[in-house]
Amino acid sequence: MAGEAAIEQEAPRAFDPHQRDTVAAAMARIIPSDETPGAREAGTIDFLERFLSGTGFIYAKPDGSGFETLSGRHEQAWRRRIDILRRRYAEGVRELDGRSRHRFGRDFVALAPQEQDEILRAAERHEAWPGGEAPAADAGTGPALQQTSAEIDLDFLPLLVLHTRQGFLADPVYGGNRDQAGWRAIGFPGPASLAEVHSGRYSTLAWFAEGHTDPSFENRKPHHGA
Amino acid sequence: MARKPRPDRAEVCIIGAGASGATAAKVLTEAGVRVVALERGPWRRRESFGGDELANINRYNLWPDPLLNPRTARTSAAEPAREELFCPVPQMVGGGTVHWQGWLPRFTPNDFRLRTIAGPLEGASLADWPIGYDELEPYYDRVEWAFGVSGLAGANRFEGPRSRGYPCPPMPMSRYAENFHRGCAALGWNSFPTPQAALSRPFGGRPATVVSAFAQQHGDPTGTRSSALNVFVPQAAATGRYDLRPDCYVRELVLDAEGRLRSAVYEDADGDLVEQEADLFLLACGAVESARLLLLSRSGRFPAGLANGSDLVGRNVTFHEYSAAIGLFDDPVYAWAGGGYVSASSFQFYEHDERRGFVSGGHVAAAGVGIPLPINWRLPGAPAWGAEAKRVDREAFNHSMAVAMVLHDMPQHDNRVDLDDGMVDAWGLPVARITLTPHRNDLDQGRFLIDRSAEILEAGGARSVTKVYAERVTGNCSHQHGTARMGDDPAASVLNRWCQAHEVDNLFVIDGSSFPTGTGANPTLTIMANAWRVCDHILANRGRFARAGLAASGASR
Repeated sequence: MAGEAAIEQEAPRAFDPHQRDTVAAAMARIIPSDETPGAREAGTIDFLERFLSGTGFIYAKPDGSGFETLSGRHEQAWRRRIDILRRRYAEGVRELDGRSRHRFGRDFVALAPQEQDEILRAAERHEAWPGGEAPAADAGTGPALQQTSAEIDLDFLPLLVLHTRQGFLADPVYGGNRDQAGWRAIGFPGPASLAEVHSGRYSTLAWFAEGHTDPSFENRKPHHGA
Repeated sequence: MARKPRPDRAEVCIIGAGASGATAAKVLTEAGVRVVALERGPWRRRESFGGDELANINRYNLWPDPLLNPRTARTSAAEPAREELFCPVPQMVGGGTVHWQGWLPRFTPNDFRLRTIAGPLEGASLADWPIGYDELEPYYDRVEWAFGVSGLAGANRFEGPRSRGYPCPPMPMSRYAENFHRGCAALGWNSFPTPQAALSRPFGGRPATVVSAFAQQHGDPTGTRSSALNVFVPQAAATGRYDLRPDCYVRELVLDAEGRLRSAVYEDADGDLVEQEADLFLLACGAVESARLLLLSRSGRFPAGLANGSDLVGRNVTFHEYSAAIGLFDDPVYAWAGGGYVSASSFQFYEHDERRGFVSGGHVAAAGVGIPLPINWRLPGAPAWGAEAKRVDREAFNHSMAVAMVLHDMPQHDNRVDLDDGMVDAWGLPVARITLTPHRNDLDQGRFLIDRSAEILEAGGARSVTKVYAERVTGNCSHQHGTARMGDDPAASVLNRWCQAHEVDNLFVIDGSSFPTGTGANPTLTIMANAWRVCDHILANRGRFARAGLAASGASR
């Protein structure tokens, strides 16, 4: 499709091929594919690489027509944040491979899904392993209901979960949620595009109050981004 | 930084253009006063907002970016503070009203005299307000009608007397509100349509509010919600007397030789320093940032911070904690559809009742789960990832709702905002440090309210209910109060009954800083009503605040 080709063309890389494959494989365990699409079909890895490629894909323009150009302190803050996140992913991939080789004698990508789950659970619990150091757990407790989180404070596993979820359920303009796969999976009738909300055409009154219709995508046109 | 030429002296300088600052700007400019307003954030137009959960919630498009505007927090002075995004509020023209859902209940008459009603509470610094409900009622009425609020007068049987009803009937009743009302009715508890900062029908030249899933914590691209940005800021600007300067970050308030405020020194968008003089200064930055600015403004006369001879600036801070019981229903509720628009509330457990064994109570209301969503939706207790997590998302997303509470936390002398000596923001200024231990009363009250919330869900037909108790106070409501208490005794308060600093007579603090207690209700209606009240007083005494010959305005009444 034209939209996908456009994303592919402009997709700058944040990872080397092995890192990309490893993160994509881990994401596929965070939101697995079953009778409905999972992280793989939704393209969450493309979402993540685009995010981490620089500061050019942080904020979509509110009408979906492209991306904002950041400047000044905001640009500096995002550059710093992305540097930190890229380092955390590089360390996280090394950790997953280290654990996998120690436990199963192979890299993470070469493991069976159940083996990958075991490794992810061990990383999540910060289990000690002889091949390397288990990074210290975040000293704080989890956020309270509705509290917005400071992303760079997250450990690798919660960060991966958050980014997978974002790539699955954020507006498709960001390169994930392909064909609104994530929204379809949970039954959220999101807008056909950011422009729908921006223009005020998007109303959820039908689901909100009497006279509702069940969420249906029959008459919706998925979009693929700017 | 270069220093720019000094602009013309203003009659009134308002620092902040959120709920209270915009209310003051409207009231003063419409009465003929020329106002300069300094707002640290941008003046965003509605075209700059969109239905973008990722940007708005996860990427700090509206929230302060913690790398630029960090805060720190700790539970006692004995421990090191850690960086935490504690009780953030959007820093931009419109402030918290830009991204809020706008639940606008009035406080009840007893809220203004809790110390008298409940008596002393060990460890807490409860105080009556120096003003009563009757004094504020006319201003509640003015805000409801000027701002545009939808609600049903008389439906909340715990509300105080009203001079008239709401300008608009309640917003449409949601499917989840139906469950809430059904549950309350079965239990014999009063419930009512939540007064909402939205228009159920065209009003005041504005169209009815668009109902969208992208509401709570999103800006409003349609311009149809009632917010300071959509209503009071344009009204003030239309007078031609509102010189609103966005991206102007006030670093310090400067005294003159007589101990009166002379100027506000700010850094403008170019990074240059500007000194703005005025006869009168209104501080409207929110309770955390107003306290911080006072503490940043040190002088020979006030070595511990401006107007802080009492050592009370920053102390007694209160924050509401939001938590909820979550119910799963067989029939779909689509609780995401209002985007946090609740439409059903109860004050059944709001008033103090000593038989419960704790002081006071709070507002409970129907709500979506983990709004905003869908990214940030999560059923409490469900696994974070894997096949089971996906199954829960699929089965519960359209079938769950919350009954949430506004926890009325108790003021305590040692719960405070001060300056962190180990961290500065991106402008080089020490950040706000929150020191806060929840009072035992907060935890007891929270458990009680969540238990009642769960009963509403069960009686409303929920198949299963999960309770999430508030185990700590994190400021997750964005509600903040108490850092510059108003009172009649200068030794026990920072501000007098007119929110005028006891020690600096041309300084008023008009946000929630003045609230002696936080109450159990959403504070912004009261913040706006109180700002209007203070401005009426300022107008009645206009001329007394000029450079010379000023009488203490408290004595003028």
